[in-house]
Amino acid sequence: MEEFFEGMAEILEIDVEKVVPDLNLSDYAWDSLAVVSTMALVDDVFNVMLDGQALAKCEKLSDILAAIELAKKA
Amino acid sequence: MENEATGSGLRIRVDHVALKGIVTAIPESEIKNDAFHSRFGETAVDDIVKMIGVQTRRHSNELQTTADFCQASAQKLIAELGWAPESIDAIVFVSQTPDYRLPATACALQSRLKLRTSCAALDVNLGCSGYVYGLWLASKLIDGIAVRRVLLLAGDTSSKLINPNDRATAMLFGDAGSATALEFDQEAHTSYFLLGTDGAGEKNLMIADGAYRKFEHNDARLVDKDPSYLFMDGAEVFNFTLKSVPPLVNDLLAFSGMQQETVSWFFFHQANQFMLKHIIKKLKLPLEKAPINIHRFGNTSSASIPLVMTDVGSAQALKGDVVMTGFGVGYSWASALLNVDQMQVNALIEI
Repeated sequence: MEEFFEGMAEILEIDVEKVVPDLNLSDYAWDSLAVVSTMALVDDVFNVMLDGQALAKCEKLSDILAAIELAKKA
Repeated sequence: MENEATGSGLRIRVDHVALKGIVTAIPESEIKNDAFHSRFGETAVDDIVKMIGVQTRRHSNELQTTADFCQASAQKLIAELGWAPESIDAIVFVSQTPDYRLPATACALQSRLKLRTSCAALDVNLGCSGYVYGLWLASKLIDGIAVRRVLLLAGDTSSKLINPNDRATAMLFGDAGSATALEFDQEAHTSYFLLGTDGAGEKNLMIADGAYRKFEHNDARLVDKDPSYLFMDGAEVFNFTLKSVPPLVNDLLAFSGMQQETVSWFFFHQANQFMLKHIIKKLKLPLEKAPINIHRFGNTSSASIPLVMTDVGSAQALKGDVVMTGFGVGYSWASALLNVDQMQVNALIEI
């Protein structure tokens, strides 16, 4: 999980301490480049693929975490 | 059964066909990233480059077409192989940027290359997967009786399809054309192909308007875009690629009975640097076996595999079994394992 938070910090270009479930993605550069980078990160760390369109609609980091949990079960 | 379907595609074996040579031709004109600064701003250019990895790309001039690059490649190839033009039985032109809507560019190339008229010639409309599809098709045309020598001509001038104001595509693509010589050879090693299609992805990488289906302006993603240019939904294509390509390569290895360690090279369609690095990492391939040159030439569509092959050096550099994998527009994908010990020519030229 730490690897995922570090990866998200790099993608959003913020300090890793700021990467918390309550983080508002729209406050940062949550654009199409960030979405595909996150897809690759999630594939690396959890070995699951998230849907790009669903990911683009995530508002908070907790939404991404929930999507990962859902994909793991599928 | 010899031919069967798997999750990754149709499994096909080809016997008695040898790959004799490849030549790729690129335009002289090199476009560097600073050429995009005034249009997109330096920060945006840096962000895009971080993802696509393209530092420079070659763009054809107004008068050059894909057929010109393929023709120059073919002329050098047959000259170096010592093949008489009249010894060629068929040509297959794979491109999404033909000279005309009709006639088929392959017909024009039969005459421009001064091949005999008893020559089969046809066009194939495929892009990213097109080179590997073309190898399969060209190989299957060879029966050792009527058809012994085939030229596969594959390439694209995608720079002519892109809207210069579209950040998703303007910096990604480069132009190139190639020619590949295939010949009947009783002693040739077996080649293995895995081929697949999922047209459910048709709208994620397309030119929506300009052919014969009326564009109905019913795609929200195209609202602010000119539908006569290339449209790409990068995230969707990325999703498809990451899901499909690693299992495709693994299934091809299993089908051919080869191990990753015994394959000399893995040549991938040069789609996007970030994506390629991810695929290579996922497949646990050594970087030196999976060359990347998208940073120098961009994504050259159906020419990207021959371009990366001809970029590794002379024919001597290409020995043993190689895996080639193309994937994208369609969606369409194909992976092949071929032995390249019979290759005599492997060259990259500028025109």
